[in-house]
Amino acid sequence: MTKRHLLQLEHVGHAFDEGRIVALKDINLDFGEGESVAILGASGSGKTTLILVMCGIRTPTRGMLRWRGEPITTLKQWTDLRRSEIGIVFQDFNLFSTLTAAENVEVAMFGSTASTAERKRRVDRALGTVGLADRATHLPQELSGGERQRVAIARSIINDPKLILADEPTGNLDSKNAAAILDLMFDLQKARGSTLIMVSHAPEQAQRCARQINMKDGEVVNEQVTRAREEAL
Amino acid sequence: MNHVELAFRNLQRRRTRSILTILGVAFAVGSFITLYGLSRSVHENVERSFEEHGADLTVKRRGIAEPFGGTVPEEVIPEIKKIPGVKDVAGQLITFAATDKGDNVLAAGWSPDSFYWEHVPLKAGRIPRPGENRVALVGSDIAQALGKKVGDDITLLGDKFKIVGLTDYHSVINRNQVIVRLADLQELTFRAGAVTFLAVKLDNPGDQAEADRVSQAIEAMGKFTVSPSEGMLRNDSLFGLMTAVSSAMAWVALFMGVLMVLNTLLMAVLERTREIGILSAIGWSKERIMLALIIEGFILSAFGSLVGIVLGIAGSKFLSSIPSIGRYVAVEPTVPLIAVTALAAVVLGVLGSFYPAWVATRASPAEALEHA
Repeated sequence: MTKRHLLQLEHVGHAFDEGRIVALKDINLDFGEGESVAILGASGSGKTTLILVMCGIRTPTRGMLRWRGEPITTLKQWTDLRRSEIGIVFQDFNLFSTLTAAENVEVAMFGSTASTAERKRRVDRALGTVGLADRATHLPQELSGGERQRVAIARSIINDPKLILADEPTGNLDSKNAAAILDLMFDLQKARGSTLIMVSHAPEQAQRCARQINMKDGEVVNEQVTRAREEAL
Repeated sequence: MNHVELAFRNLQRRRTRSILTILGVAFAVGSFITLYGLSRSVHENVERSFEEHGADLTVKRRGIAEPFGGTVPEEVIPEIKKIPGVKDVAGQLITFAATDKGDNVLAAGWSPDSFYWEHVPLKAGRIPRPGENRVALVGSDIAQALGKKVGDDITLLGDKFKIVGLTDYHSVINRNQVIVRLADLQELTFRAGAVTFLAVKLDNPGDQAEADRVSQAIEAMGKFTVSPSEGMLRNDSLFGLMTAVSSAMAWVALFMGVLMVLNTLLMAVLERTREIGILSAIGWSKERIMLALIIEGFILSAFGSLVGIVLGIAGSKFLSSIPSIGRYVAVEPTVPLIAVTALAAVVLGVLGSFYPAWVATRASPAEALEHA
């Protein structure tokens, strides 16, 4: 089966402190449409830096990234991709404390051409999808950790992105909420056919992805197809 | 939700910071309106008081800095009256004089044949009769402040004057002025035969060429300076100094206000560095983030200006209500002054938002997201 390329990394490297601290070394990865991928590794292995490079929040100090085969070379390209094609879910939610759940979701639609009514309909639908229809007018501080992450997930899918990047999305949640959030993310990924790339510490979470990338000291040490992939095949 | 609604939500939910910033703008605008209004009002009130007496030109001793410090000899009046185009000439002696209870009032001495008497609006009583001495016309405001009425006595420079009438002028200075016979005031101030300035009435007040000819003829007599009555203070160095000081204070108030607003906006943006990183992470361009911050600056400045206008008008009324100020100056900020100040505050607020907004978008999204 031919995989349709979504995001490709070619010899990507990233260094901090004027090159003294190397976070990523010569990364070559290819992500296809509809894939679910887990990135595993110990703290400091470069997982989060890799995620941030894959959405343009960090600029690689060497190498190149391609979106659907086209090189991404400008900040504007990345901004456009994050606005419409890439959704991001952070470990610590990153919600706006002054905005309600609905407004936190809607703020990701600024710049879209959707009418006010259409925006409201999509926000309602996204909050309904993550099970927070009745919490739309609550501020983040009035929500539990699990509910906040659901708002963040609703925000990440509001523009119907092709790629969702999740940086340890359950890292700040208890086991019950963590399981529920993972269920929600995988259900959404399957239902929408989007690509999910998730950073995780936990091997049992990574097993739910079709593909697993293991990192150490800024390098990809191995890739493997998981049981989930084998079962899917 | 659009950018403006988003800005309002942010400002509403950071109420304390928003209110403090609005108050900062308001105090700057209010101080400027009050202080600049005060400096303008000094000029306007003095000029208005001269206009009410019906003079076209004012003749003063050349080179004296204090407005009431120089004197002109009365003996030149007949010579000036001979100049073609001159209809009439009147001398006026002016001094600040101690009165009852230690108050000082502006006392004016007029000669019996002065054309000034023709323009006196009487509220009560009458004007002095020929040959009457130690009689006074008292302005309506100072009469009220001192509790005087027609028939009462008023003390000027230690001598008692009988109040024969109350005047009802429009200008604050004239409403607080005590008018006596010129000879009486000359005697009390030891300035026999001298007046503070001469007021000249022209045959054709609208004829600028004639006014210029008359002015040149008077100045050719030596040691005199002539100016249109409405512009009498334009070249006065003491009033110029007063205006400069009050204007400088007004500008300093505005400048400090702008700096404070700039600092508040900068602090507000810096404390939201992480939020700005999140906006960038969800696809907001730098231009859009700057726009959102500038809209917040605009809203804060606009509300601050509105509150500042109210404070400025209230401050002006308060200053006018202080006897030592209100007796000589009615601080009345004009509509153009209010409009220009408010507009300037909004423009400065928006311009002041550019720098914090630029600082905010200069950091990389990754650094912004790592901000605590």
